[in-house]
Amino acid sequence: MATEKEDLLHGTLDLLILRTLAVEPQHGWGIAQRIQQLSREVLSVTQGSLYPALYRLEEQGSIAADWGISENNRRAKFYRLTRAGRRQLERETESWERFAAAVGRVLRTA
Amino acid sequence: MPSIRRMIAAVQGLFRRRRLEAELDEELRFHLAMETEAQMRQGASREEAERRAMLQLGGLEPTKEAARSARAYRRLEVLGQDVRFALRLLRRNPGYATAVVVALALGIGANTAIFSVVRGVLLRDLPYREPGRLVVLHQRDRLTAEGGDQGFSVLDIEDLRRRNRSFSGLAEYHSMWFNLLGRTDPERVQTGVVSANFFGVLGTRALLGRTFSPEDDRPGAQPVLVLSHAYWQRSWGGDPAVIGKILEMNDHPHRVIGVLPPVPQYPDENDLWMPTSACPFRSDPHQMADRHSRGFSVFGRLAPGTTLAQARRDLAAIDRALTAEYPGDYPTGGYRADAVPLLTELTARARPTLWLLLATVLLVLLIVCANVANLQLARLSCREDEMGVRAALGAGRGRLLRQLLTESVILALLGAGLGVGVAAAMLRALVAFAARFTQRTGDIALDGWVLGFTIAIAVFAGLLSGTLPAVVASRGIAGALRAGGSGRPGDAGSLRLRAVLAGVQVAVSFLLLVSAGLTLRSIWKLQAVDAGFNSENVLALTIDLDWAHYKTPEQRRAFHRALLARAQTLPGVAAAAYSSNYPLDGIGRGTAGVRVEGRSATDADLPQAGFRVASKDVFKALGIHIERGRGFEDTDRDGAPRVAVLGHTLAMRLFGQGEPIGRRIAFGSQRPPDWHTVIGVIADVRDQALDQDPGDAFWVALDQNPALAGSLLLRSRRAPLALTAAMRAILRELDPRQPVGRVQTLETARSAALAAPRLTTILLSVFAALALAVTVIGLGGVVAFGVVRRTREIGIRMALGADRGAILAAVLREGLAAVGIGVAAGAAAALVMARIVARLLFGVPPTDPVTYFVVALLLLAVAALACLLPARRATAIQPSLALRAL
Repeated sequence: MATEKEDLLHGTLDLLILRTLAVEPQHGWGIAQRIQQLSREVLSVTQGSLYPALYRLEEQGSIAADWGISENNRRAKFYRLTRAGRRQLERETESWERFAAAVGRVLRTA
Repeated sequence: MPSIRRMIAAVQGLFRRRRLEAELDEELRFHLAMETEAQMRQGASREEAERRAMLQLGGLEPTKEAARSARAYRRLEVLGQDVRFALRLLRRNPGYATAVVVALALGIGANTAIFSVVRGVLLRDLPYREPGRLVVLHQRDRLTAEGGDQGFSVLDIEDLRRRNRSFSGLAEYHSMWFNLLGRTDPERVQTGVVSANFFGVLGTRALLGRTFSPEDDRPGAQPVLVLSHAYWQRSWGGDPAVIGKILEMNDHPHRVIGVLPPVPQYPDENDLWMPTSACPFRSDPHQMADRHSRGFSVFGRLAPGTTLAQARRDLAAIDRALTAEYPGDYPTGGYRADAVPLLTELTARARPTLWLLLATVLLVLLIVCANVANLQLARLSCREDEMGVRAALGAGRGRLLRQLLTESVILALLGAGLGVGVAAAMLRALVAFAARFTQRTGDIALDGWVLGFTIAIAVFAGLLSGTLPAVVASRGIAGALRAGGSGRPGDAGSLRLRAVLAGVQVAVSFLLLVSAGLTLRSIWKLQAVDAGFNSENVLALTIDLDWAHYKTPEQRRAFHRALLARAQTLPGVAAAAYSSNYPLDGIGRGTAGVRVEGRSATDADLPQAGFRVASKDVFKALGIHIERGRGFEDTDRDGAPRVAVLGHTLAMRLFGQGEPIGRRIAFGSQRPPDWHTVIGVIADVRDQALDQDPGDAFWVALDQNPALAGSLLLRSRRAPLALTAAMRAILRELDPRQPVGRVQTLETARSAALAAPRLTTILLSVFAALALAVTVIGLGGVVAFGVVRRTREIGIRMALGADRGAILAAVLREGLAAVGIGVAAGAAAALVMARIVARLLFGVPPTDPVTYFVVALLLLAVAALACLLPARRATAIQPSLALRAL
């Protein structure tokens, strides 16, 4: 399933979804677009992994969904961050930064 | 009703799943549409854009499937993780796990065992057709406070059958002992004498052959017998060829026509059953025509649509009508007619004891749960780092809570598994125990219901013992994350909670100790009660004469005289007597109305008194004190003026302060009255039950009333049982066809009468002791935990010169505060619980201050000891070491 773009590191999709939703509630397609745009087209949400991730996060209580009207006047399911999700985002951001910094240190010094 | 609710839930679930499915579909279609538009904006044709959009999403169905399983898997995964994690943790802490599992196994096992008895005896339907509609009828005496049941006469029963509108059937019943011949040895058999419709009313079919038909109960019909299942197994080895056998009884051949299935019997355990026409006593024309001759029992089946209350009103109306029609045959004001459900009647004696035991074991389990919760709390304070890390790694608070609950429920289920083993081991003893209260022990088993109950209380115990620690732990996580902070889960909040738990344990222990203490005092009183007789060194041999061979009074008199003459000359015999009854023989007393010469009263208004028939020396043999006058002598023989001896209570009732000796009394409805001269008054004797007031009683002379049924009583100078063989030999010489019934010492009879309350007391005491032990461990743990937590503080205080005594007092105060509050709460609860216990008590009020005081003292002393050990550890803290640990 290799693509030209970078595959998401396992577990980081959740983090990115949460981060995207921290800005404003968004529907599934919008989330995928957003991740792609923000990563300057480097990161792409791999085929078929977005919706399972959304459903998992919803079941877990990190995000919640409501039906609303999209920018082009269609009925769409909008996801938003819950309070638990916001806390999870904080925690995961922090641990991601630690992780990334650690890997960076190793790469620089090794 | 529940099935409808379940259907609604299922349909709702279906709709929910459908709705989710539809939403998923709509959501993905929306995604595809958006993506297609985006692709088209980039210049692709619509077809190409749709193809790319679909490719990008990865296909509609695979995506749906992945989304669906993400949701479902998540739930399973959580449970699986929790279980795996819990098991791993327990493997790592085998000591902790074993302690908790064993404690829970004891608590749950005791519950399982007691519940299996409660279910088998009290909750299960009787094995009859529509058992809830079966009732036992009573005519209760309005004169006496206890409202003794007078039973029904044959004419009463005929009238009830004709007049009632509430019953689809009324069956007559009484039970007698007969001698069964026709086999190698003569045999004493208890025989239920019933109307032909008896088994039809109960709804019991024969296991083999048939039960009675109306033809069998016609006067003069060929006598027939039905065997009880137990007797058929015991005496006939379960041989089906018994059907059609001819057995001799009461001088008549009786044909066996059927065998019953194993059903509980009430009120007697009969070996055989016969129709009323076959019973020489019941089919006697005088008996059948005498409205006054009561004592038969009546069972009824409520007609469809009739309630118990309606049936009771109906019976009361019939009794009023009969009282008006036959004024001489019913007491002034009539009887109190009553109908009681058969199951209630059958289990009346067992009921309070069993419910009390069930309440007790549930409380014991509560204490065990509190202790497990305490252990969990202590352990959690060691796991705070783990919890912190897991929370930091993204475990939600709910998730942690669920994890901890999974752990404690798994422990409880392990305990339940072991507990079922504990219960199985206890069951045989418990069945023997229950048999002292009720005939209904055949249905006690560890069946699906009991196991369901076990699982239910195990889960309940797991949740109970897991919830508090889990809540505390998940609340403490935030604090744990703040590194090095003082807000650790094991701190103030949790410690206060642990003190509360210890307080609850103390309160419940107090409750259990009080109920055990009350029954203990009660049984001491019962053991020490002055029963009015001396049970030491008395042997009783039941010798019921065969009605067929001793038809005339002369024949019986000759036998009695010969028997007593031989018995008196046996070496070692101090006194020998023959009496219709002896104390605690378990046989009901006949009663009769007592008329005093010169006083007028209708037959039905005469005070009823229990009577016994006895020979000379009976009071000497039984060690009964003669208060005035004399006992029976050889001169009180047939032909001499008839005599009677009164019990103290009856003498007081009839004559008050007046002189009873020399007055004349007569019994029953005899015309003209058969006057008996009062020759003596004896002390009251508790001869029916030790915890029952002696009531009105009188004795008449054997030679003047030659009884068929009775026992030979021998007061011995040495071990009384040694006389048995010699006595049997004498009896064989006198009449080889005469069987001997039960042989026992009076001491045995007395201790058997105490066995049921003694066993109850032992069980309650064992449970109370268990509760106390668990509580003490819990309490000690709380105090020890407090000391460990405050090691530094204590060290500092001691370094600053605090007195060891002051430290000791501070630590003790903490523990004993919980005890004090627990004792106060326990005392309040015990006053409520004592109402249940009250029904089991003899001579001790349920609020007995001595018991409460002693229990409080015991609890305080034991608790102080439990606190003292860890408190002493606190004073042994070396300030230097404690401070260095900072």
